[in-house]
Amino acid sequence: MSVGIDLQSSFIELLQGYGLTPGVAKVVWMPLPMVLIVGAVTVLALVSTWLERKVSAAAQQRIGPEYMGPFGLLVPVADVVKLLFKEDIMPAKTDPWLFSLAPLLVFIPIFLSFLIVPFGQNLLISDLNIGIFLWISLSSIAPIGLLMAGYASNNKYSLLGGLRAAAQSISYELPLALAVLAVVMMSNSLSTIDIVNQQSGYGILSWNIWRQPIGFVIFWIAALAECERMPFDLPEAEEELVAGYQTEYSAVKFMLFYAGSYANLVLSALMVAVLYLGGWGFPISVSAIAGWIGISETTPWLQVITASLGIVMMLFKAYLLLFVAILLRWTVPRVRIDQLLDLGWKFLLPVSLANLLLTAGLKLTFPVAFGG
Amino acid sequence: MLKFLKQVTDYTKEAVQSAKYIGQGLAVTFDHMGRRPTTVQYPYEKLIPSERFRGRIHFEFDKCISCEVCVRVCPINLPVVDWEFNKATKKKKLNHYSIDFGVCIFCGNCVEYCPTNCLSMTEEYELATYDRHELNYDNVALGRLPVSVKNSDPMVQPLREFAYLPKGRFDPHDLPAGSRRAGQMPEDLLEGETKA
Amino acid sequence: MNLAEGVQLVSFLVLSAMMIGAALGVVLLSNIVYSAFLLALVFVSMSGMYILLNAGFVAAAQILVYVGAVNVLILFGIMLVNKRQDFLPVKNAWLGKAATAAVCLGLFALLSTMVLATPWAISDLMPIGDGAIVAIGKHFFTDYLLPFELASVLLLMAMIGAIVIARRDFLPDELLSSSELPPESEMLTLPERPRQAIAARK
Repeated sequence: MSVGIDLQSSFIELLQGYGLTPGVAKVVWMPLPMVLIVGAVTVLALVSTWLERKVSAAAQQRIGPEYMGPFGLLVPVADVVKLLFKEDIMPAKTDPWLFSLAPLLVFIPIFLSFLIVPFGQNLLISDLNIGIFLWISLSSIAPIGLLMAGYASNNKYSLLGGLRAAAQSISYELPLALAVLAVVMMSNSLSTIDIVNQQSGYGILSWNIWRQPIGFVIFWIAALAECERMPFDLPEAEEELVAGYQTEYSAVKFMLFYAGSYANLVLSALMVAVLYLGGWGFPISVSAIAGWIGISETTPWLQVITASLGIVMMLFKAYLLLFVAILLRWTVPRVRIDQLLDLGWKFLLPVSLANLLLTAGLKLTFPVAFGG
Repeated sequence: MLKFLKQVTDYTKEAVQSAKYIGQGLAVTFDHMGRRPTTVQYPYEKLIPSERFRGRIHFEFDKCISCEVCVRVCPINLPVVDWEFNKATKKKKLNHYSIDFGVCIFCGNCVEYCPTNCLSMTEEYELATYDRHELNYDNVALGRLPVSVKNSDPMVQPLREFAYLPKGRFDPHDLPAGSRRAGQMPEDLLEGETKA
Repeated sequence: MNLAEGVQLVSFLVLSAMMIGAALGVVLLSNIVYSAFLLALVFVSMSGMYILLNAGFVAAAQILVYVGAVNVLILFGIMLVNKRQDFLPVKNAWLGKAATAAVCLGLFALLSTMVLATPWAISDLMPIGDGAIVAIGKHFFTDYLLPFELASVLLLMAMIGAIVIARRDFLPDELLSSSELPPESEMLTLPERPRQAIAARK
């Protein structure tokens, strides 16, 4: 297994070359990845809003945004500028503290979860030992924010939307966690890096999707429900609830909800890529190619190429899944609340339990293929 | 035990079937992505209305005989015909005529029944105003020549509607000059009749 | 004291202040919704404490279970039965308050004596840190198997109870007047359509 490039140590060495002490160099390094990831996540979320508009338009035989920038690429920027300059309206009789706190509570955990998304062997903020579990536990904070938004708005639609959102995300957290558990069982680790490395041996053939097809489907359905995407967008069903918990929000606070929901969608897609589609791995193992050509894996330029290829692959897989999610949005009608809970509790939960049992059995029977 | 197994298989079959249906739906949506957009970029492109389009009503003051048939056939008696009897000529003299397009439903009954053809339909459809009272057109406004989509504004590109495209064409942009729509034109039909 | 220790101390102080403040808010605020949200803050600061103790897994589990599940359910309960109702002033309310204060102070005194009496010594064992997941798992399935299974049985019982309460097929629209109260034996049973009738309908 190649170590890949280590940006941190090379950056610190570079700074030390300019005469800084190792401690100072480390302090200079520390905020960099965080700032970088916040910026990158914002850009990813903005790109996904643009993609949503363009793909929706194509699915409905329209053109979509066209005049703002090439192919309307500047539309998300215009959105952000508009929302930043709008008046921040706080309706009468709201609860001002909770009303302002709620968007932050929804937004911050999602951004924090990007801590553990790996774009390469060393290209992540922190390789936590609890890795994927951190994501699951952080995503369980969001319902509190939604309930808070629903309650603080002092509006029946908001309250209903908040309650629905919380019920939905509690119900779908279980199948989600069980599907993750099956993958974790195979990789013997919660760390996202280990999960990807466990899938990296034989290119596309060793991806988890072949070993966990049921888990993949369950995870994707549950992730869509967690993100309140179209077949499961009851909390903001505009025909019934205006906009659910976002009804009373405007300007920056609305932007936080909006950006949060898209960042969450991107995050879920990235997680699917990590858990089931081999993470940053290229469909054909790069080290194998290097072996065929006869180049050492430690060649610097090869490492740079591998790292950039990893980032591209990761984003490609995530946006492919996003594309599927947008197509699903225009294909599947919204489910009713009882159908939603039926699907979660009576279908996904038993199936994911059975999947877990099956994985455990297979792991005992074929320890070679299922991570002994 | 067998009953339980049957339940399980039925359940699996249902799940597989629903997955199949969702897959079919996805295929349809995906297929639509490859199709040509039907968008008309409105302020810069406009569709040419068809011959029977019922747009703003045109009125010729001098032809009107103040018979008020238009008022009688109108579903809501909308046209206002202000006339007085000229004793010298023993004829009605029309003073004012007006139709409020904020209320008109463009059914075309008045045009149909007008005995002197002083009313006619135009292809003008951009009637938006800032004040609804501006939609109450008097005889001067009604007598203005209608604005055509074609050759009125150099910024606007007129586009033919789908039925007026040549055979095999689906895109109204960049038609070859002088291309005719599919099928026979009314004048062709007339010529054919006179020959036979 | 180096940088890391300083950061640890400051975080500990901030977390403790946050926890105590939020806990006081839970008890003292009259708005029950605020209390519920502050309870979440208490749980979050507790999980921060776990992180300071190098127990990342327990911290994440704390957030997942307490904030994500318990607290959300509490909020659900509050919001679904959110009757805006002013409390009626009760006669001799001070009695109850005094009793509560006495009990709380007694508990506090007991705990403080316990804290003071215990000879706290810093364990010289290495913190297990990242190996905690494996260690906890092993404990659950070996020496703590019985409590673990008992807890799951308890949860199962609670769930079945909740299902029984929630699955009432029939509820009378208006409360029965005192004359037509059910006999003593059926006092505590839930009003329900007889099972046979449902079976026959199907």
